[in-house]
Amino acid sequence: MRALVIDDSRAMRRIVSSILTGLGYEVRDAGHGGEALDVLNEGWVPDLATIDWNMPVMDGLQFVSAVRSNPAWRSMTMMMVTSESEHTQIVRALAAGAHEYVIKPFTADAIRDKLALLGLLPQEVVL
Amino acid sequence: MTTFDTAERRRTVEARPVIAELIDAATVQAIAEEAWISLVGEEEVLVPLPGELPADVLSSWVDVVGPWTGSVVLTTGRRTAEELTRALLRDSAPAELEEEDVADAFGEIANVVGGSVKAALPGQSALSLPSVGTGPDVRNAADVCRIDLLWRGEPVAISVQGALPALPAPRTTPVHPTYENEVPL
Repeated sequence: MRALVIDDSRAMRRIVSSILTGLGYEVRDAGHGGEALDVLNEGWVPDLATIDWNMPVMDGLQFVSAVRSNPAWRSMTMMMVTSESEHTQIVRALAAGAHEYVIKPFTADAIRDKLALLGLLPQEVVL
Repeated sequence: MTTFDTAERRRTVEARPVIAELIDAATVQAIAEEAWISLVGEEEVLVPLPGELPADVLSSWVDVVGPWTGSVVLTTGRRTAEELTRALLRDSAPAELEEEDVADAFGEIANVVGGSVKAALPGQSALSLPSVGTGPDVRNAADVCRIDLLWRGEPVAISVQGALPALPAPRTTPVHPTYENEVPL
């Protein structure tokens, strides 16, 4: 399975990528929504995208909207991973098309549990 | 003559909360500990003891704008900030850290701590992207919640501080403005 980790912080990209790699994902990353769209336009469409909210150039919400407007990317599951924790923000993200929401700080177990709920744990991890 | 009643505005200004009314040091410490475990490592401990910050310090902060407006500022020695960066980057830390690496990692800690502080405050607020450098000055000593911690024996200070200066002391006698053309009754 493939995952695209989108966060303007390199340290946070490393942390999330490390968790996903440990779960068996093939991971690429991007520093903002615009870079992430470039990856998708290359034809590398992941099963999962983890998306920070506050980023320069193109923020997470704009990225989610852009993905939702392209039917070719409908199969991609989008999980917000952000320090934005207000209920209204969560509702906005889900309304825009995000499937799940993880609030920073998080643990590796929290990511794994969300992926299990989404049916996105690679088979060898489930077993 | 049209007169404007400024009482509403005055009440708004007078009602401006200070941080001590909204969050306490224990909550800030719990937020910091959770962020450390998530970002720095599960074995990493923050000890609630003050230490003397070195002369060469670095701050990272995010601004919170809402019913309470201010900054969440982390300050530590530059070498400790570099050590924190290595802890965050682990195996992917370069042999020689660049300023950009430290700004990224130390800024992300401020982002996570600041996001949790924002969540603990009442009402809706906006959070800025993190900044790193010389932290913002304390504008109002009464609008600060500061905790001093030790990480691996080195001091780390976290200050949740208002962005606005102190309000003038309340007047004890009512003041009625007079106008040049006002006719005394």
